[in-house]
Amino acid sequence: MSEPHGVREYLLAFADDEHLMGQQHTEWIGIAPFLEEDLAVSSIGQDELGHAALLYELVLDLEGVEATDPALDALAFGRPSDDYRCCHLVEYTTSDWAEALVRHWVYDTFEAMRWKLVAGSSLPKLASVARKALQEEAFHCRHADALLDKLLAAPEARKRILEALEVVGPLVTGLCEPVEGEAEAIRTGVAAGSTTDLLAPLQQAAEERFGAAPVNSLLDHGQNRRTTRSADFEPLLARMREVFDYDPEAIW
Amino acid sequence: MRVYEVFVKKDGRNEFRHVGALEAATDELALVLAREVYLRRAEGDRLWVVRRDHVVAAPGDFVDPNADKPHRHHDGAAVAARRMAARQSPS
Repeated sequence: MSEPHGVREYLLAFADDEHLMGQQHTEWIGIAPFLEEDLAVSSIGQDELGHAALLYELVLDLEGVEATDPALDALAFGRPSDDYRCCHLVEYTTSDWAEALVRHWVYDTFEAMRWKLVAGSSLPKLASVARKALQEEAFHCRHADALLDKLLAAPEARKRILEALEVVGPLVTGLCEPVEGEAEAIRTGVAAGSTTDLLAPLQQAAEERFGAAPVNSLLDHGQNRRTTRSADFEPLLARMREVFDYDPEAIW
Repeated sequence: MRVYEVFVKKDGRNEFRHVGALEAATDELALVLAREVYLRRAEGDRLWVVRRDHVVAAPGDFVDPNADKPHRHHDGAAVAARRMAARQSPS
């Protein structure tokens, strides 16, 4: 039964990336540089959380489990950490707004390409989620680009953004790193191609955007096909579970 | 940063209504921020943002005198009374 497992792992990697990225964006509520940005970035985070919820539903579908709220919560929050398949880029705790903005641009530019890979998926539900998500991604990218257009034109801001790119850049290969199960997902038509192939266009887009390509180390730099967690993961999961843990049986 | 006034048109309605304002550095940022700040719950289907300094605003006392012109408010009572009188008078 390697086939459903492979597809499950593929969908989990996608869902976990969206879930953690959404969480990271929403953590800016109240502390982003100005009020409008504060609302915008957390609203974009909610879009990503919405994608995560739909992708987790697909995982439950595959397992033959009804997608009730407790089942979704258990999947999203209750797995042992080595069952997560997120990349280290979305686990990373940024140290300032510049890093968060650079990651926002990198992630959403990648995400739009990633949804295109499943827009014609053999899983009809996944294809329909992709169509919806792609419309949203166009606006997420416009948001990041509009901010960067303005900031990269100001010398001090530009310097800080390029410094942030030095920090975020090495995590970009990990974002494009597929899980083991991706091969099954491609073979069964769930996905049209590998996320590895998105690295080159992403680097090119980054070069055009920043005038500098993100630094890249070797493709395998410790994620081991997304099966390992970075040091930032546990504290992040604890923050995500903070309310949930007060009363795991509660009906919301 | 500039201040932009935000107008939203609801689905199925003709008129744009003022919903608030925001600060943004460029027109494009004003649009993308307004979309997330004022329309994320589908509050409307069309959006305008207008730079506040592009609004042609009348001074505060510009329309004040019009507040005291009772002769412009007619409920038709005087006309009705005259018509009634005309109908009842033998002609």
